Amino acid sequence: MALTAEEENPAAEIALAALFVGFLKISMCAFGGPVVWARRFIVERYRWLDDREFVEMLSFCQFLPGPNIVSLAVCIGAKFRGGAGALAALAGFIVMPWSVGFAAGALLLSYADAGVLQGVLRGIAAAAAGLIIGTGLKLLLPQRRRPASLLFAALAFAGLGLAKLPLLAVVIVLLPLSIAAAGRNAPAAA
Amino acid sequence: MTHPAAVLVAHLALLSLISFGGMPGVLPDLHDFVVTSHGWISNQDFANSFAVVQAIPGPNMILLTSFIGWKVGGVPIAMAAALATFGPSCTLAFAVFRWWDRFRDRAWQQRLRRGLAPMTVGLVLAGGYAMARSGDVGPAGVAVTIAAIGIVLGTRLNPLWLIAAGGALGASGLL
Repeated sequence: MALTAEEENPAAEIALAALFVGFLKISMCAFGGPVVWARRFIVERYRWLDDREFVEMLSFCQFLPGPNIVSLAVCIGAKFRGGAGALAALAGFIVMPWSVGFAAGALLLSYADAGVLQGVLRGIAAAAAGLIIGTGLKLLLPQRRRPASLLFAALAFAGLGLAKLPLLAVVIVLLPLSIAAAGRNAPAAA
Repeated sequence: MTHPAAVLVAHLALLSLISFGGMPGVLPDLHDFVVTSHGWISNQDFANSFAVVQAIPGPNMILLTSFIGWKVGGVPIAMAAALATFGPSCTLAFAVFRWWDRFRDRAWQQRLRRGLAPMTVGLVLAGGYAMARSGDVGPAGVAVTIAAIGIVLGTRLNPLWLIAAGGALGASGLL
């Protein structure tokens, strides 16, 4: 963690246009769950953040209210370029994708009762579910040497996914324990 | 009686500010509000809108509330619904992030971030699992999901191909 300051020193070279285009691409690709595409572009392609930074930024946004990836756009924009960056990322994420998605969705909805379309939607949902689970597993990679992290991720999944407990209940029980564990064994060179 | 569009937009703005953990957590509330309490759209329309926004790119929760707004009052209300869904939460995210980022090198925040990360991963995995279990998924659908997980983890294939393959298999009636 000694390198944190240097690592997280904002790369001031990220242009407002790059933030706009980056989040535009994420949004336009985001079939069945934008987190898949947010990680793919932000971590793999642009290398604005590494996996650990991405998961920490996503955590921050996930525990705020509202659509998470929209908040992620605002926060990443703000991290690198302040208020203007937040607006650029937000505009990229929303304006054009919303217009295209609204038009396409309105068209699809008028055929929503057709059997073929129901089949297509089912197939896309099945594939998208796999993408989201695969992305979740990739986000575990930076934490793979910390058994406590793996344990708490598994418990959170079990509580939310299997037992269908409310998020608030899961967080109230697990988060204090997870933070306590995070303090006790500081990560190896994460 | 207040105009339905104003009631909808106000309720969405409220959900935007209280949906800690993301919009999916308040979907049951939204469903009750627009289908059961006010009868603005039918249960089937809500389900169709949800399925469609999962299948098209873009900000899907915002599109979902936009389609509800569209049913209530046409395109202008769709736009107002979109703004109400992300405006309040984005403003809050920006303000809180500015504050949070000032302390990013403090030990307490690093510890908090490390403690939060596993919760986030669990939440993402649970979201994928819920999507995999939604609707009437048969063994073929489960196989598609498992294959997609394997391909995401094991290859660098563009996931758009997986979406297309899932859609094609669904269209062929195999799922």
